Amino acid sequence: MSVRQDVRHGLRIGRAEFVRSLRGYLGNPRRVLGLLLTALFFGGALLFALPTAYVLGQTARSVAAVPFFAPAATLVPLGLLSVSVFRTLERLGHIDGADFVLLAVHPRAVVIGLITAEVGRLSLWFGIPIGAVVVTFALGMGSPLLVALGGAVTLPLVCCAAVWGYAGGIAVLRLLRKLPNLRRLLKGVGILAMVGLVVASQFAGQFIVESDLSVQRLLSTVAFDPLVEYVALAFVGTPVSRPTSLGAVAVLAALIALTPVGLAVSTKQVSTLWFTDSVGNNESTQVRRSSGGFSAPQPFAWTKPSRIAWGILVRGRRDPAELSHLLIAVFFIAPFGTMFLEFSGDALGPLITGGGVVLATYLSGATFGLNPLGDDRPQLPFLLLTETSSAALVRGRLLAGVAVGVPIAVLSSFVSILFGITVLEAVATAAVGVVMCLAASMFAVGIGSAYPIYEEREFWGTETVVPSTLVMMVYLFVVGGGTVLGLFVTWFAVTGNVVLTPVFGVLFGTYLLLTGGISYGSYRYALRRHRRYTLA
Amino acid sequence: MPSTHDESAILATDLRKTYSSEVALDSLTLDIPHGTVYGFLGPNGAGKTTTMRLLTGLSDPDSGSVRVCGVDPSDRRAIAGRVGYLPETPPLYDEFSAREQLEYVADLRDISRSVARERIGEYLDQFGLAGDADRRIDGYSKGMKQKTAFIQSVLHEPDVLYLDEPTSGLDPRAARTIRESIIAFADAGTTVFLSTHILPVVEAVADKVGVLFDGRLVTEGTPAEVQARAETGESGSLEDAFLAVTSEPETDAASRRE
Repeated sequence: MSVRQDVRHGLRIGRAEFVRSLRGYLGNPRRVLGLLLTALFFGGALLFALPTAYVLGQTARSVAAVPFFAPAATLVPLGLLSVSVFRTLERLGHIDGADFVLLAVHPRAVVIGLITAEVGRLSLWFGIPIGAVVVTFALGMGSPLLVALGGAVTLPLVCCAAVWGYAGGIAVLRLLRKLPNLRRLLKGVGILAMVGLVVASQFAGQFIVESDLSVQRLLSTVAFDPLVEYVALAFVGTPVSRPTSLGAVAVLAALIALTPVGLAVSTKQVSTLWFTDSVGNNESTQVRRSSGGFSAPQPFAWTKPSRIAWGILVRGRRDPAELSHLLIAVFFIAPFGTMFLEFSGDALGPLITGGGVVLATYLSGATFGLNPLGDDRPQLPFLLLTETSSAALVRGRLLAGVAVGVPIAVLSSFVSILFGITVLEAVATAAVGVVMCLAASMFAVGIGSAYPIYEEREFWGTETVVPSTLVMMVYLFVVGGGTVLGLFVTWFAVTGNVVLTPVFGVLFGTYLLLTGGISYGSYRYALRRHRRYTLA
Repeated sequence: MPSTHDESAILATDLRKTYSSEVALDSLTLDIPHGTVYGFLGPNGAGKTTTMRLLTGLSDPDSGSVRVCGVDPSDRRAIAGRVGYLPETPPLYDEFSAREQLEYVADLRDISRSVARERIGEYLDQFGLAGDADRRIDGYSKGMKQKTAFIQSVLHEPDVLYLDEPTSGLDPRAARTIRESIIAFADAGTTVFLSTHILPVVEAVADKVGVLFDGRLVTEGTPAEVQARAETGESGSLEDAFLAVTSEPETDAASRRE
């Protein structure tokens, strides 16, 4: 009785959580626009993939002939397990409205609900394209039965991976709660590991291309036969079906048996996590003190905007989790990491100075400038009623970003002297870097003001107000592209390789005009938005 | 329906709770009969919310025991139908309308659809939310959210109702509605454990008052007894008594220093 009741409650919770997510996605017109753009981008790729899937279905003569079938059949369940662990760590470790839900139903129902909702969300994002590819493949093969059997084979796999991944994720959360120092360490290590992973992926790709290694042969080493046999059950009744093996049946039996066990383990784990308090260093009870009052050091003490900038810097330093959005740059900058290792001698100096200036300009705007109204939202009722002008407030935020970026631009330029660039080249790139930092910061406050985000959301395990992803992407491409162009021109100019032609003059003039004009216009726009801001 | 058995509605014995080296609650013993409105007072950080969490089973004590209507709160299935809890931050889903929220709650509470519909309709009328019942909660005022959360906590007619600052931030009309509801529930036999800083509310509805200070219950009794014990004089109010009993350690410390 209680199992049936928990399943019923769980499905109800799952439905409610899924509906809440759906309303969250569709509740904001800007989010809908973002979703449409995403759908347009990936929909195009899907349209190209479907004919290929159809042809593959037509030409497949055996299961083994399906490209990458064996490694995929092994790696996909592992991937599902990893996703489940990751999503539990990130989102499913708690339920909203816990004070009410945990007093109304058994924790097992909550676990079922959270997992059901997550499967629903993932199906919404990935189920439609994967389903479309499978259906097209099945049609190409002339066996629509494959779709039904594919679903039947996938279901136990997904259920088992979901509950055991959940149990694993909760176990990690419990461990992190017991060892808060480990949590802090893992955050740092996690960022480094992610950068390493992105860089390593570049090497791996290059290695595969340059060596004689066959991808097919490489992947075949990871195939786990019983799992491959099990997934091949989806092809029963199709022209390529093969005899059902004992291994496949054993895997099916194991999946069916392990799912309730995983659910029981998960329930036990969450009950401990939710109904006991943390032991050891409880961060919430730690009292942190700051002595000496608020006094900005030189040169921040000079003007009001610079004192405001100092306040922003101090807050950022004390709560670095608020800056977690900066990590998005890792995905764009890390791939270039291999270049630093490939180049040596003369090229390393320019690369270090160039990389430093690009990073500096990125940080100048992105650190504090991409969501000025959203970041200040809780304080705006106070800030807007002070004697301090909007200009001072915006300039303060702008200067805080510049204070982060400029030292990096200057330092990287002068460090590069050790790697072979001349003092003149270092001074020139540093000077250009400083100007670029200012321009990037001015641009950031403008686009950030155009698209403010006020709601907190979970980002890299931290509940914080994060700038819009669209704004971050636009900023990255505009500032990244602009900085690289400017650096190239600077480099060619100081090395005497620029030929002053009318075409160059027009192009360079346009570049300067766009850089200056867009940055200044953006800054003016931020001022105007700030001055006319009314609380919603 | 409220329980009619003989055990105390809430029986807590020697509860102790620590966070790291900080003692949040020490030797707390409570024995609250059925149908009582128990006003639970204490300054900020005294341990009131911790107590509520221990009494609902949402948190485990380091030592001591709790029985609610004879049930150990750690028995989640047994406790679920007996208690209602309104925490200080209303546990509502902004993406739902009040009606959706309450129907969802009723579903999880296993209240039949027809009964749920009838109760929800009555409560929405009683709390003046009927006209806004289909609006999403993210557009509600603080008072509307609080009223919705209050209905949510009583929808299954619990034996024991825990209320953490139920009238905080409400306009006088909304506060009165909740105050009257507390009295009505107590008259029907529900035990109400009411934690609030608004002392006139406690004076108006509480049968018994307990004052928590620094994790310890420093005084307990009827409002009149507490006032008398605090020696605040005939004109003294519950507020005077509260201030008197929650400043004693400081006075003691001062006298010790002298």
